[in-house]
Amino acid sequence: MKRGVLGFLLVSHVALATAAGEATGDPWMVLQKAAQAARELSYQGVFVYQSGTGSRSVQITHMNYGQGEYARIVVLDGTPREVLSQGRDVVIFSPRNEKVIIEKRRGQNMFPAVLPSNLDAIKTSYDVRLGGLERIGGRDGQMVILSPKDKFRYTYKFWADREYGLLLKSMSANERNEPMEQFAFNQLTLMNSQKMDWFQPNVSPEKQYVMEEPATGRSAPVDAITWSVDQLPSGYRKVDEITRLVPGKPAPVTQIVYSDGLASVSLFIEPLLKGMTPKVGHSAFGATHFYANVLEGHQVVVVGEVPEATVTQIANTIHFKK
Amino acid sequence: MKDQVSALVDEELSLEDSEYLYTAIRSSENLSESWTTYHLIGDCMRGSPIFKSDLTDRIMQQLEQEPVVLAPKAKKAVYKTPTLWSVAASVAAVMFVGWMVLQQQVQTHGEAAPAEIAQNVASEYLLAHQSMAPSNSAYYIQPASYSESEK
Repeated sequence: MKRGVLGFLLVSHVALATAAGEATGDPWMVLQKAAQAARELSYQGVFVYQSGTGSRSVQITHMNYGQGEYARIVVLDGTPREVLSQGRDVVIFSPRNEKVIIEKRRGQNMFPAVLPSNLDAIKTSYDVRLGGLERIGGRDGQMVILSPKDKFRYTYKFWADREYGLLLKSMSANERNEPMEQFAFNQLTLMNSQKMDWFQPNVSPEKQYVMEEPATGRSAPVDAITWSVDQLPSGYRKVDEITRLVPGKPAPVTQIVYSDGLASVSLFIEPLLKGMTPKVGHSAFGATHFYANVLEGHQVVVVGEVPEATVTQIANTIHFKK
Repeated sequence: MKDQVSALVDEELSLEDSEYLYTAIRSSENLSESWTTYHLIGDCMRGSPIFKSDLTDRIMQQLEQEPVVLAPKAKKAVYKTPTLWSVAASVAAVMFVGWMVLQQQVQTHGEAAPAEIAQNVASEYLLAHQSMAPSNSAYYIQPASYSESEK
């Protein structure tokens, strides 16, 4: 009998030790759970976003209301920007002096919902491993590290709440291990309420609300097939394409978005017409790299939160069919 | 008062019960701006195309649903029945909204375009990238161009 009790104590002790252990479990499962938790749970919190020298505190309220997801994001520092989303529809309110500009967007994977539901794309481009435990915003976070398999993407570190699964923190770093972008909750609570009274913008009646002109024309033009990217960096796939008229430009600009599941890059191509100043060169802004080039009478610009190698390779391997 | 305007837009207050609000909205420039703003925001949030005439339709529907008084009544009451009043108020409101929408369109066309042209080219691409990229964090930090284009 005594032996049985002792045995039970030992077993339970081992079980506890395993639960508290640092490098246990499948890191992909941790990320999978984080991706689900960010969409399925109802939560409220404040996180800090840092990029380069800039930082902003952001308040988020997210509710899964049975049929769909609702979120309200308020930037607490600087200009009081507000983002309200319902499913994949996003409405942004940006005050500018006496006006508030209303922009409509399509779904964005915003923190903490940065991981795609399907991790297969990420698995082909990154190696995964578990890191240690760290306390973030009063919660215990399990670190998971995604290391790129090549030079075309940053390293990502995620800290997932050990109880809720939700991401508490995420960070990207370049090949020299310099931090590029970081999000971290200061404060996070789950909500039990089903009330929707929070889902409305803070209206300033003294300001004039103006609707941003929507981007026109989603169809690809006839000449879109005259070129192709011959060596798209591995793991990147086309996720979107739009051709639109930009104010002040006579010819439509084609934008193609590529993503490897985490990072995304936009490629812009437009005919270089008389009077336009051609742009050539490279520049960086926080985690974002730009590369501009002129190829066969076209202005090519590549922009993305990716390493310089990625934007350069995309821009330089565009092939125009004769 | 502004809360009431908001409630009326959200159909939390019925048209019949809020005649005083129309009077107030029409007489106060401040309130009439709130009225337009709440509608604009409401339309955005509902995903209906902006400036769609759904409000007009809604009012007309409500008017149709109102009972028509067929039974003869005491003569002095005829000109002051709530039904007649609300018809008048609703028609006035529809005209008023139509006028405000026109105002809004004129202002949008007049001022939105120059601001976009004023942005320098690099930030133009950055903004376009941010609005299309599947995961974009830079949303929280406004690009430099936003402050540059402010006048």
